[in-house]
Amino acid sequence: MSRSLHKAHRTTPRTNYHPLIGIITTCIVLLFSIIPNIAGAAADQLTVYSGRAERLIKPALDEFTAKTGIQIALLSSGTTELVNRMKAEGDRSPADVFITNDAGSLELARTAGLFRPLSMREIERAIPPQFRATDNSWIGLSGRFWIITYNTRMVKPDQIKSLLDLADPIWKGKLAIPNAGSEYLHAGVSVIRASIGDDRTKKFLEGLRDNAGTQVYQKSSQIVEAVAKGQVALGIVNHYYVYRHLATQPASPIAVVMPDQQEGGMGAIMNVAGIGVLKHTPRVEQAKLLVEFLVAQAGQKIFADLDKEYPLHPEVQADQALVERKSFRAAMVPLAKLAELRAPTLRLIEQVGMR
Amino acid sequence: MIAVRPSSLSSLQLVALASAALVLLPLIYITTLALSADPAVWSRLWTTRVPELLWNTISLAGAAVLLALLLGVSTAWIVTRCDFPGRRLWEVALVLPLAMPTFVLAYVFNYLLGFGGPVEALWQMLAGPQARIFSPQSFLGVTVVMGLATFPFIYLLTRSALLNFNVSFEEVARTCGASPLRRIFSVTLPLLRPSIVAGVALVILYVVSDFGAVSLLRYQTLTYAVFQQMTGQLDNQAASILSVLLVILALLFLVTERWFRRKSRFYQTAGRYRAPQRIQCNWLQTVGLTASLAMILGAAFGVPVCLLILWSLSPEALAILDARFFGFVWNSAVLATLAATAGVLVGLPLAYLASRKPTWLNTGCLQAAYAGYVLPGPVAALAVLVLCLNLIPVVYGTVLVLIIAYVLHFLPAGLQSLEPAIQQITPNLEEVARTLGLSARQTVRQVTLPLIRNGIIVAWVLIFLQTMKELPATLLLRPVGLDTLAIRVWLEASEEYYQLAAPSALLIVLVGLPALGLLLSRDWRAA
Repeated sequence: MSRSLHKAHRTTPRTNYHPLIGIITTCIVLLFSIIPNIAGAAADQLTVYSGRAERLIKPALDEFTAKTGIQIALLSSGTTELVNRMKAEGDRSPADVFITNDAGSLELARTAGLFRPLSMREIERAIPPQFRATDNSWIGLSGRFWIITYNTRMVKPDQIKSLLDLADPIWKGKLAIPNAGSEYLHAGVSVIRASIGDDRTKKFLEGLRDNAGTQVYQKSSQIVEAVAKGQVALGIVNHYYVYRHLATQPASPIAVVMPDQQEGGMGAIMNVAGIGVLKHTPRVEQAKLLVEFLVAQAGQKIFADLDKEYPLHPEVQADQALVERKSFRAAMVPLAKLAELRAPTLRLIEQVGMR
Repeated sequence: MIAVRPSSLSSLQLVALASAALVLLPLIYITTLALSADPAVWSRLWTTRVPELLWNTISLAGAAVLLALLLGVSTAWIVTRCDFPGRRLWEVALVLPLAMPTFVLAYVFNYLLGFGGPVEALWQMLAGPQARIFSPQSFLGVTVVMGLATFPFIYLLTRSALLNFNVSFEEVARTCGASPLRRIFSVTLPLLRPSIVAGVALVILYVVSDFGAVSLLRYQTLTYAVFQQMTGQLDNQAASILSVLLVILALLFLVTERWFRRKSRFYQTAGRYRAPQRIQCNWLQTVGLTASLAMILGAAFGVPVCLLILWSLSPEALAILDARFFGFVWNSAVLATLAATAGVLVGLPLAYLASRKPTWLNTGCLQAAYAGYVLPGPVAALAVLVLCLNLIPVVYGTVLVLIIAYVLHFLPAGLQSLEPAIQQITPNLEEVARTLGLSARQTVRQVTLPLIRNGIIVAWVLIFLQTMKELPATLLLRPVGLDTLAIRVWLEASEEYYQLAAPSALLIVLVGLPALGLLLSRDWRAA
């Protein structure tokens, strides 16, 4: 204990107010100082929970704000985490809108009664019915496909035709995969299970696990980086990460295979990013405006040009660099089915002991 | 005792009980959740994830401890037993790595040791273009990061032990003809054992509960797995099971450490203390020592900070220094202030009662508050989450939950400086004040509080600092729009946007520095 501090205090005049009162008042003032940041403070500010990477969704939301003047508070986090959170928050949730990258999670949120069905002509005109919930409580915004990306210096394009080839031990130590918690892995495995059955899927996952070893990534962009650098030869990612990488580094030795297009193959695994409006929100009109903006041609173009996804609006063109959408076929598993397939998929992934 | 009126005592007691409940209830909830989980989930976890996770966690802790011991004990010995130009500077500089959060160190090493990174490029110049170094995302890589981040704990404790112990023991051994090596192993090291064990316990708890480094380096430990289960599964059963395992593991370490400490107590023989002679180094030895110290400190602090500065000055990083960035700074500062204040307010009654009225109830409350030690960030988050959902669902998703989690998590750090501060004041002073006619309230305000002011400041600063660096609980519990600096670093770094993460990371390190100075000037152990 320092003597000087001690003495200094003694000489200060004694006051009679209770020190606690001062401290607590300051704390309350501080607390309120951060509250304006917290959702719902402004009357027509929309709060968006987003399971998508911030840099992929923020440009679209910013453009919406610029166009309509409606401010948006964005919480970016994990998809499943946010679904859990909205369930826990119930009617008190500050969220007005939920945007995420996995149809299975959207469907799960719908069955949990989180969403409000929308009947809007704009939606029905813009988005084909297979990409939305039957009652329009969630609406797909953009499509993405599981592709195999490879380093052109390490792999020849004809070496790989199907995702299932990746379980081959010749790729041991040369493969990068997403981690066991990522929703797009869950959705992909669900589609594979529906296509080839649980036993073969299990063998396939065991092969993936052994080939990937420690090359298990949290973010798709990291997998693309690893392939581009030659740290691994191959990776499983959603297609747009590759094209976003190529858009900034055109000389990168990286290419894609649209898998499982051979005769009798299961087809490429598709998923959509989508949006749902929460049931309890008092800001329905603003939320509807956001949905309307994102499904309309202008919004769809942002997903196509900036994010390199496949727009779902039939009249909006995908980026020129992408594989022409009509040239390949997608696996025949309805998106809404991803929800019911998910629980057994998670069990299988855990059984195999993927990281 | 006399200083406190019975009525105010009981209200204090209520506060203490409430604080203990705040800590214990989440722990109880999480245990019940784990025990009531489907047995199928238990058996599935046991057969798939648990063995790997346990092995990873324990082996990492062991390896990190070895590295930290090697670095910590040798540097402490050098700065206390050798005399060379610059020694005093090194003595202070060696604690600098404590200002570096593990996630910052991990992200810099991800770049340094990464595939195609600078270290590999250097190595390839020496060993040919095909040469590879170990990956930062391997066991070895994580060990290096953890060892570098934690060795100052061991350094600090060993250094103060070396400065305090009586050199005559060594001299006796020398007179009896023991060789230098034998002297080190049978006299010096055994005498240092209590402080080394304390340091090792700190390092182990630190490594076991770390989230930042293991998540960025993708190394599967129990703590990281709890986080992954919470964010990837639709219920928290598996997460709670892993949490309970983690708590048990941490408790085991803690109990072992207490046991060791009780077994080995050494006492100074009174009155015969002499400081050791320092070995005078010639210029060759000086160069050697300086080079090795520079290498250690460079790897743990110098190079990372230089890189952060460099990255912060890049155009990409400068472009994000806008109002949004300062919003993050503000959020971090406010959250840390609130958590530190709440922590001190909660901790004071606990520490005060336990030392002034050490009934079993009061000491029990205090011990309960230390439970936060064995609650790593994700577990604390899970516990608070489960508790709030069950008891007070209204606060879920608000700042309050976050503050509760911080207090729960960092209360032990605060108590560690509050408790001795209160114990050092003899109750006589308070009794004198009472005899001279001050009321109980006045006594507390005019005698006790001013006397323990430094303890309060240190506790406050410690909690403030820890909260600034906190990652997993903030990630899991933050309300909309409340991103902190630590979160920004983690989000950008986990996508390997090194430049974009740098300004926030640098700021966290800079804020940590003066606080570190404040703590060290007073109490080397508290850091």
